Amino acid sequence: MTAYGFEWAAIARGLPYLLEGAGLTVMISSVAMVLALVLGLALAAISQAPGPVARRLVAAYVEVFRNTPLLIQIFIVYFGLPQLGVKLSPFLSGLAALVLYAAAYNTEIFRAGLEAVPHGQFEAARSAGLGELQILRYVIMPQAVRICFPALGNNLVSLVKNSSLVSTIGMVELMFVANDISFNNFRTFEIYGTAAVMYVVIVLALTRLLRAAEGRLLRAPA
Amino acid sequence: MSVQVVVQTLPYLLRGTLSTVAIAAAVIVVGTAGGVALGLLRFAPWRGVGAVVAWLVELVRAVPLLLLLFFIFFGLPALAIRIPTFPAAVLAMSLWMAVNTAEVVRGGIQSIPRGQFEAARSIGLSEVQAMAYVVFPQAVRRMIPPFVGLCTILIKDTSLAAIIGVFELTRAAQETIERTFRSFEIYLTAAAIYFVICFPLTRFAQRAEARLLRP
Repeated sequence: MTAYGFEWAAIARGLPYLLEGAGLTVMISSVAMVLALVLGLALAAISQAPGPVARRLVAAYVEVFRNTPLLIQIFIVYFGLPQLGVKLSPFLSGLAALVLYAAAYNTEIFRAGLEAVPHGQFEAARSAGLGELQILRYVIMPQAVRICFPALGNNLVSLVKNSSLVSTIGMVELMFVANDISFNNFRTFEIYGTAAVMYVVIVLALTRLLRAAEGRLLRAPA
Repeated sequence: MSVQVVVQTLPYLLRGTLSTVAIAAAVIVVGTAGGVALGLLRFAPWRGVGAVVAWLVELVRAVPLLLLLFFIFFGLPALAIRIPTFPAAVLAMSLWMAVNTAEVVRGGIQSIPRGQFEAARSIGLSEVQAMAYVVFPQAVRRMIPPFVGLCTILIKDTSLAAIIGVFELTRAAQETIERTFRSFEIYLTAAAIYFVICFPLTRFAQRAEARLLRP
């Protein structure tokens, strides 16, 4: 058994590609999160509509996507939908699956946030003469955002890590690049180790950033 | 859509499900034991131990499970540590489970007012006794909802084992699709099976949390 020589050179050679992959991971996660925030907010608003139908439909979406594996969701979009005539590229499939998955969690966070604002706030705002949209904009949202922010931040961190799964259908990001390099040069230990360091840097930077933003958000007047 | 394909392949998918449950059970036992130990070590009275454990937990938690799995299965053989697929998957997932459980344990213990610990100390209990008999039992109640949530995520994430070739539900689905070419129906069925396992757990966690909020 020959001893394994740790090769810094393998890391140096792979580094430019891995950094590019890390950049893509950040980009994909950001785009997916923005879309998932919009979708989540829209669905949370819809679930507040009068009558049980809208609420139940939104709840069904949330529970289905939260209680099935993201990997299977990715496979259904990429391998399953073409059978029904819907053929998406790896990029669009991966993005769609990540957005739908993250949006299910965001919907639940927004819904809980909206419901956590005491009902008296609505009534007080209305009796002060504010319109529906004004109430939402100036009274409910500032409070709900503060309630939701930490959970949304956690979801974004999960999204960064979960985005590694789209490598399985060939969407290019950090995990895909790490696989690609290490299956070619067999320096699996160095390359996966470097990729792990990159994820740690991204996640820790993001966590610190979110914590700082949370601190400012809590101090700032509405 | 073909219902017939689903009916014909269901027994094979259920065999995969059994393996999924076995993997999840093994990981929950090993990972939880490790996680409780790590979580408690953060409050150890020995200097520096808590900080080191906190760092370790934060680092490992920042790495995606898929990468942990690939590092253990593809990366460690480079160091002549060769682990077969099944134990590699259980090891990677137990590591993941342990660091995440450690966070749940930390959160639970920190949610107990510090006065409880001080009161226990002042009536003459040692630090270990105060933790074991006063703080931890109260904290456990608060750990249950997030811990069950964690188990749900784990059960979903056991699907990653399929990528390195472990036979479980997702792998069974892939093999079935290789024979039948009905990817939509088969993956949908697999998703439904995961849902049947995970949804009751999610509900239980929600109820347990609601019960905690009530006085």
